[in-house]
Amino acid sequence: MNGPYLTRRFLYGIPLVLGVTFISFLLMVYFGPDKTYELIGKNPTAGQIMEVRHALGYDRPFLLRYGDYLKELFTLDLGISDSNGEPVSVILKRTLPVSIALVVPGFVLGNLLGLGLGLLAAWYRGRWLDKLVMSASVVGMSISFLVIIIGLQILLCTPYGLNLFPVRGWQVHDPGSYFYYVAVPTLALILVTLGYNTRFYRAIMVDEIERDHIRTLKAYGAGPAELLFKHVLKNSLIPILTRIMFSVPFVLISGSLLLESYFGIPGVGLVTFNAITSGDQPILKAVVGLTGVLFVVALTINDILYSVVDPRVAKS
Amino acid sequence: MTTPALKVTNLSVWFETGPGRLTVVDQISFSINAGDATGLVGESGCGKTMTAMAILGLLPASGIHVRSDGIELDGRDISTLNPAQRRAILGRDIAMVFQQPATALDPVFTMGQQISAVYRRHTEGSKQQVRKKMLEALESVGFSQAEDIAASYPHELSGGMRQLAMIAMATVCKPAVIIADEPTTALDNRTRGLILEQLKQLQKLHQTAVLFISHDLSVVRQICRDVMVMYCGRLLEITDCHSLFANARHPYSAGLLSCIPQISDKRPAQINSIPGQIPAPSDLPSGCHFAPRCSRVEAQCRTSVPALDYADGRGVACFRPL
Amino acid sequence: MTGNTWQRLKSDRYGMTGLIVVAIFALVAVCVWSGLLGQSWSEVSGNRFESVSASHWFGTNLLGQDILQRTLFGTATAFEVGLVVTLCSTILGTVLGGLAGWYSHRWLDEIILWFKGVLDSIPFYLFAAAIAFALKGNPWAMHLAMILTFWTTTARIIRGEVMRIKEREFIEAARAIGLPDLRTIFRHVLPNTFHILLVQGTIVFVAAINTEVILSFLGLGIQDGVSWGLMLAESSQEVLGGHFGNFIAAGASLFLLLMGFNLLADALQDALDTRRAFG
Repeated sequence: MNGPYLTRRFLYGIPLVLGVTFISFLLMVYFGPDKTYELIGKNPTAGQIMEVRHALGYDRPFLLRYGDYLKELFTLDLGISDSNGEPVSVILKRTLPVSIALVVPGFVLGNLLGLGLGLLAAWYRGRWLDKLVMSASVVGMSISFLVIIIGLQILLCTPYGLNLFPVRGWQVHDPGSYFYYVAVPTLALILVTLGYNTRFYRAIMVDEIERDHIRTLKAYGAGPAELLFKHVLKNSLIPILTRIMFSVPFVLISGSLLLESYFGIPGVGLVTFNAITSGDQPILKAVVGLTGVLFVVALTINDILYSVVDPRVAKS
Repeated sequence: MTTPALKVTNLSVWFETGPGRLTVVDQISFSINAGDATGLVGESGCGKTMTAMAILGLLPASGIHVRSDGIELDGRDISTLNPAQRRAILGRDIAMVFQQPATALDPVFTMGQQISAVYRRHTEGSKQQVRKKMLEALESVGFSQAEDIAASYPHELSGGMRQLAMIAMATVCKPAVIIADEPTTALDNRTRGLILEQLKQLQKLHQTAVLFISHDLSVVRQICRDVMVMYCGRLLEITDCHSLFANARHPYSAGLLSCIPQISDKRPAQINSIPGQIPAPSDLPSGCHFAPRCSRVEAQCRTSVPALDYADGRGVACFRPL
Repeated sequence: MTGNTWQRLKSDRYGMTGLIVVAIFALVAVCVWSGLLGQSWSEVSGNRFESVSASHWFGTNLLGQDILQRTLFGTATAFEVGLVVTLCSTILGTVLGGLAGWYSHRWLDEIILWFKGVLDSIPFYLFAAAIAFALKGNPWAMHLAMILTFWTTTARIIRGEVMRIKEREFIEAARAIGLPDLRTIFRHVLPNTFHILLVQGTIVFVAAINTEVILSFLGLGIQDGVSWGLMLAESSQEVLGGHFGNFIAAGASLFLLLMGFNLLADALQDALDTRRAFG
């Protein structure tokens, strides 16, 4: 890893962060709800209106307000939630671990299984196993997330099905209860991502397996296990890593959004969902801004990882 | 009579497609003794590489059919080995040098790692022993800075160096037979000379039998004692290089020779070519495959296939040889 | 599409099945738009939660509305959303991607790339919510949000293709004669990328429908009319009480249409990929 490369990647992220925060500022703050009238009683005078607007900072110049927003984001001074008066940062601190605990098992398993199935399908390319895996993937991709969630609920959580797991809730205090509450959401996450993951990984593996150096390795007696796990995987690490890094912020936010709002799990997603429906601006402002920044960070880390894994990249 | 290092008997390779059978290698037989180098010459697409892959058993199973009456390595038939047995001999008793070293080598491992891996796969040994052998192999192909080469990635080496490194990988286990598939095609003339020299030296040193595949007769002449001319999956002539260049017996061989540009004082350089085109595998003429393009063709050439009568190390498959 | 490609497509059984399925749904949508079907989707024509019967093929929902009618109307909604989003995002993506590719590595390209990176960085549902906020509940907010995020993939592809085609000689020749840049792009380069756009278009259509479903569930989607997303949202509570009508009707329709599109997209991709022409 070399210094100039790192700094270059880092600097490249800055305009992106600025862009993301700017858009979120534009949408949420500038064009957002005007709170003047909420804070004033009936029949306000012009003077009162002006006072309130001044207190809310509405009369400040555009760029200064943007600057304020940036400051708030980076000092994590995120204001107070409209719905229950709690400081936003406290809310996030409490709900983020829950979301992570919810999403991680499904994410990890979904990718591992996808990798495994993709590898299998690529190795037996054209034969029945490959066709089976690919057909299953297409079916998986065609079922909407919502349908999967509702379907699983019916099957596993209601008396019309097996009734093994709870419909909603998150009373987690030990591994047993963790499993109890996380099982169905995890299953849903796996089912929804498996189709896409498998197809993606299979395509990468097929490309790699067809390469000349795999033929050379076979000509020198390398067996399937060594070929697949030592050579094919290592050469495919870049696209694999890219995909994983890119999907982390999305799975965390979007996945948790649906899962939590559906299963009533008190994580970032549920908080965001409630904020969306109730129009709780401080929370939305914070979440949009922070996730944007997170994504840029993920992108930069990903690029750095590239240069570690593939010796050819660091030179350019 | 000594057992030949490599003996191939009636090897055929074909595809089964909807309309019929596409034969790419048609009943090829030959043998190479230890210490000898034999060239396999023919135009692109005549089946040379397929032959090599079939000998090694590397053709993928689905769609491609391989059949032979025997592929013997030092007397042992390798055509009937199961996958595990086959993996044991590949790289140890028979090794292949590929055409494009740039893509044939794994880009994310160093040369040292790749060569060591081959050695370790077929031999027991401590890490130091393996490393010593690996460095020896690199030195034996002419690298004076073997340690540097061992620590380099393929993309950090020049084309010629990569090919030499590949030869090192092929010889690290001192196999009895090496198949070289167009090893110098992608290189410039000077490097080509170097590679061929190295190959010749190694061959003499370890008494390796070499099957040298090329479309270039002049290159084959520099390193091989015998040569086989192949056309559309069949062997048309087998003889020693000297005799071939002095008087080729098959019209196709003669045609190939006349295509080599000669620069002489007397006449401006002429570029000859054999009239007609190579038929596609789906469109092979019955009888002798070369008949449509042959200047000496007669009636039976189109209806029956001339056999390769092989006597005293020479053989030609023609009803009217020169 | 050239005749050769069409031949390959025709021989792909799965692809043709997909095409037929999509065509059937499209036909339904057209019928709804022209007033032939699904017009009584909001009419209360029965009792609550009637089960499957001759007059209500899928039964009725909570308010007594006929589920079949609502499903048919939902088909039209799905196609409306899909077509609008696909068309607009494809045009936007093609224009911006083409410009970026043509002026590659110059400032216009950098700006467009930056813009793309920014939009890719914002989690979609939050973006949709933010736009809904900013537009104060305008029913087109959802379409806008989708268009503004979906153009990026198309742009990336077009940019790559333009950069590739730019290298080819015939473009050099055109420039040598002195044709203005913009005309060169649209006349010579874009027709060559048509096949890629077709495949990408089907993928975007699928994404648009899927997204509408989830947005409707979150309350950010269709405001008036009915869609499969809204039906599914309704059903989420209903199934706990044993009423599966909405769920089955909307879920199955969604699955069939998406499956059809996915099969079609795959077949198109295979037919256009000349490398794989020989299996």
